[in-house]
Amino acid sequence: MPSRRRFLVICSVGLVPLLPGARQLRAARPVPAAGPHPTPRPGITAARVLSREQLADTPAAIPVFDQVREIPEIVDGIRCQCGCADLEDHYSLLSCYEGEAMAKSCVVCQGQGRLAYRLHRAGKTLEEIRHAIDARYG
Amino acid sequence: MLRSALTVELLLGLALPLPLVAQVKASEPAAVSQTVDGTKLSITYSRPRARTRDSLFGKVVTWNEVWTPGANLATTFEVNKDVRLNGHPIPKGKYSIWMVVRRSGDWTVVLDPRPDLYHEAHPDSTAQQIRFPVQPEERPFAEVLTWSFPEIRTGGMTLAMQWGTVYVPLEVEVQPSYTLGFPKEGSSAYLGEYEYRWKMPGDSAKPMSFTVSYENGTLLGRWNPLPYPEWGRFALIRIKDDWFIPGFLDDKGALYEVMKEMVFEFKLEAGRATSLEVRGEDDSLMATAKRKN
Repeated sequence: MPSRRRFLVICSVGLVPLLPGARQLRAARPVPAAGPHPTPRPGITAARVLSREQLADTPAAIPVFDQVREIPEIVDGIRCQCGCADLEDHYSLLSCYEGEAMAKSCVVCQGQGRLAYRLHRAGKTLEEIRHAIDARYG
Repeated sequence: MLRSALTVELLLGLALPLPLVAQVKASEPAAVSQTVDGTKLSITYSRPRARTRDSLFGKVVTWNEVWTPGANLATTFEVNKDVRLNGHPIPKGKYSIWMVVRRSGDWTVVLDPRPDLYHEAHPDSTAQQIRFPVQPEERPFAEVLTWSFPEIRTGGMTLAMQWGTVYVPLEVEVQPSYTLGFPKEGSSAYLGEYEYRWKMPGDSAKPMSFTVSYENGTLLGRWNPLPYPEWGRFALIRIKDDWFIPGFLDDKGALYEVMKEMVFEFKLEAGRATSLEVRGEDDSLMATAKRKN
């Protein structure tokens, strides 16, 4: 029987077979400092979000980058809750999908992107999406 | 007093520019911290040793002295959220900690809002201090003065100071970040049995049962069969509208772990949950369920 957290990872990823004795644990996420959500920058675009070609080494992340690319004006109004929000040159969750793109590997950055997209598609406002992000990741 | 102040200045003046220079000290510096439910408590101190001195209290530390349980700079107590210490409210912040030691009866714990005092400050009582009585206990001899956290619980921890045979436990209560309570009138929307499927490779998972019940003011979830033996009972803790996270309970019904990596999102129709999705930390779908009754 795999560890409980391993089990969660398996269910989340849905790709890895259940291996008895698997012991890989996901590191506990540090608790980020709380802070206000940023105001979306007027005219913000997804021009700096990594392209599919730039994600060749992390193909599993391509779908969520595609989603974020569709709604930069929403994602730019969300404070990332993974702990990276206080880094230099970091403005919003959108920043996690640009440049070095922490979202290539960070499940929290990815989760917030997917959740924002899912709720936006469901007709939720930015404020409602922020509230949901805070409830889930804050 | 002037001599003490000069001593402090000299010591600080000598110590600050050379923090990395190796130095043997009679009381070596140390720090311990413990986090419970997001509340971090830290003790920073220097650790005096008994060094064959036979009577620590009553001799090295004189009776009725306002003593900092440490050495050199006063021991500091720092906490990042409000807590209760032996039932007394302590606002978040950094304090120097002192004890009024007595030959018999209770001692008095003193938290002084000035953290940067020297051990010889022996602060007089002020309105800004927090003071409360404690009952010292007797334990097997400990050579080195030690602060520790011998117990942690979901809602708090025990902070303890020991030197020689004197042991002073302090009970710390933290502010819970979750509440298990759920209004009875709102529970009926979710109660019942669901056909539940974990998302597994190739949709290979067999359907299982997931039941939501209401007991003692708490909404409870239960899988059958259990994914893990210790996941037998869990509280559904509401985080938003119809979103819940599991709070796993021990045999006595006490909360021992809250798992934010697993969110139960119920879908309601006409005020009644008809299905639910379970999503992971990356928001991917972990499981789905449909109401059976």
